[in-house]
Amino acid sequence: MTLSEIADGKLAPRLGIKLDNISKRYGEHTVLDDVSLHVEPGTVTALIGPSGAGKSTFLRCINLLERPDSGTIQVDQHTIEPGKDVNSRDLAALRRTVGMVFQSFNLFPHMSALKNISFPQQKVLGRSKEEADERSRQLLERVGLKEKADQHPGKCSGGQQQRIAIARALALDPAIMLFDEPTSALDPEVGLEVLAVMRELAADGMTMIVVTHEMHFARDVSDTLVVMADCKIIEQGDPRAIMSDPQEARTRRFLRAVLER
Amino acid sequence: MDALSAVLQGLPMTIMLTLSAFSIGIVGAVPLAVGLSSSNILVRLASRLFVDLVRGVPIIVWLFLLKFGIQIGTFKFNPVGAAIVGLGVVSIAYLAEIYRGGLQSVPRGQGEAAHALGLTGGTTFYGVMVPQAFRIVSPSIATYLTGLLKDSSIASTIIVTEMVFQSQAFARQHPTVEGILPYIMVGILYIALSLPVAYLSRRLDSRMRKAVSV
Repeated sequence: MTLSEIADGKLAPRLGIKLDNISKRYGEHTVLDDVSLHVEPGTVTALIGPSGAGKSTFLRCINLLERPDSGTIQVDQHTIEPGKDVNSRDLAALRRTVGMVFQSFNLFPHMSALKNISFPQQKVLGRSKEEADERSRQLLERVGLKEKADQHPGKCSGGQQQRIAIARALALDPAIMLFDEPTSALDPEVGLEVLAVMRELAADGMTMIVVTHEMHFARDVSDTLVVMADCKIIEQGDPRAIMSDPQEARTRRFLRAVLER
Repeated sequence: MDALSAVLQGLPMTIMLTLSAFSIGIVGAVPLAVGLSSSNILVRLASRLFVDLVRGVPIIVWLFLLKFGIQIGTFKFNPVGAAIVGLGVVSIAYLAEIYRGGLQSVPRGQGEAAHALGLTGGTTFYGVMVPQAFRIVSPSIATYLTGLLKDSSIASTIIVTEMVFQSQAFARQHPTVEGILPYIMVGILYIALSLPVAYLSRRLDSRMRKAVSV
């Protein structure tokens, strides 16, 4: 069984997501300036760019952890206009469809690894404890951490914590997964085990949007590379094409800094 | 040993006062702490005003106000009632501030993770924030409890027959050297009562730290 089959249970339909004209300001300071991105079902989109470009903010706008000032988000027949009032049913539907993995893992420190994964299943999907625990154990096994089920996150390494966090998000059967610099807080070697899980997930056809500084991952795994700078998307397309022959001077400068160091 | 038995007569009242006020505080402080960290500025201001008002006035003044200053129809507080309500309200204010500090020291990512998972506000608060905040503040709560135990002696000023009141009564009847005895004993008793609380809280704290060690 593949990772996302376990995650999906009965192979949930692949979904894409359309974001149009997303803008976000903090007071006078613009963070996102009319950003649009369409993600096809089952594809991996890598978001790269210099820090401060708005990558993470954009990602956090997708599941409304940040509330954009304007724009529309379309996913699975739901159209959400975050600039206006978002009703709680749409918000709940959005968050059920979209899973998220954070740079700092954000596991619940007072729960065991197993409970971290089971607790949201029970609360959000209404699964029984037995059902939830069974699913959690399957997922832990798939991310290679079966033996950590009863450990608290504090007893796990960063890479292990991140894999538990991925399992926690997958347990809710999301159709789309967001990754916010999932390996930035990890040692390079430890990051590899997380990237391996993500590669597997991508191979299974999960729709993924990944903010990352891992250029190899972006080049080898993603279907679409999106370069952000100065609150905008400045270039997007085939990752190999962009990396070998960037059209924008700003992209060239950034790629030179990250690839030729 | 007359002094000791006199002081011991006040022991049940001291314990009853402390535990009643503490229970009121532990429960009543929850909504107030939520108010203190509310995003609604009016709610936040009102909660802040209440906390600062209650904490800004000495407990002894509150007790006198409740005991002698309040009369609604034929209702007046008896001494024990005034003491429990007074100490209870003061506990609410202090504990709310402790809770608020605890809630705010839970990392922001915890709430974000809960939201991203689609947990409701209530589940996020009671299932994610409160348990972590409690671990952070449990030593402060224990410290407050031992403080409250000693502050309950202030109720002697409005004729509540707790340990210090009994000591004073005994001292007045024995104006010789013996008169100092009950105060020594009452001091020892307060220490004896505080020690288990401090000990338990330290054990609880280190056990929880071991469990979650971040």
